Amino acid sequence: MKNRLRVLRAERDWSQADLADRVDVSRQTINAIETGKYDPSLPLAFALARVFGLAIETIFDPGFEADEETRVANA
Amino acid sequence: MMTEQRSDTSFRGLGWACSGVLTRRDAENLRRFNVVTLAWAMMFVASTLAIVRFGAKGLTGWALATATLLLGVVAMALYVKFLRAADELLRKIHVEALGLGFGASIVFMLFWRLCERLGAPKLDVVDPVLVMVLFWAAGQYIGLRRYRGESGE
Repeated sequence: MKNRLRVLRAERDWSQADLADRVDVSRQTINAIETGKYDPSLPLAFALARVFGLAIETIFDPGFEADEETRVANA
Repeated sequence: MMTEQRSDTSFRGLGWACSGVLTRRDAENLRRFNVVTLAWAMMFVASTLAIVRFGAKGLTGWALATATLLLGVVAMALYVKFLRAADELLRKIHVEALGLGFGASIVFMLFWRLCERLGAPKLDVVDPVLVMVLFWAAGQYIGLRRYRGESGE
């Protein structure tokens, strides 16, 4: 799942550790999410959305729309 | 400009492998588990010596065995508490490591049962436990490596 965490964090001048503190997880968790190695749980995704003041779908992109476009194009 | 600072929640006390992995809560829970596990291991060694070397049988022997059991149960409870409260990525790493350790010990045990029938020496009851612990530790190392940050940012 793609996400905009790194960009959103950079806009606010937060380090990974800063963001980790705000959502009560480890810095490695934030790093793993940013690099796409780990997809957060729903509670953590909501916590991240709340911290940035955005809707979850503006931060995380499950790629459904791209899949749908591909499916329609191939039909 | 983004800067890397020491976090209030990210704990860096356990070297490069754990850099930024443990929150303070996780570090504290892990410390409690480690202390009790060490006490349990020492109690096991002391009880074994007392029973085997110094002939502590009867009530004393049973008291030592029961004390060892109780410490082990406390260590187990503390590990479950640690897992339940752990940062979700750390929990994932530990659960995967537990799966690896459990699976490896079962596979090893059944494999060696076949080997015994082919003439290999008989397996001691502790051997699969050692395999489990080794693979559990290896699983944690692999998990920490897999999810480790590349940039260190």
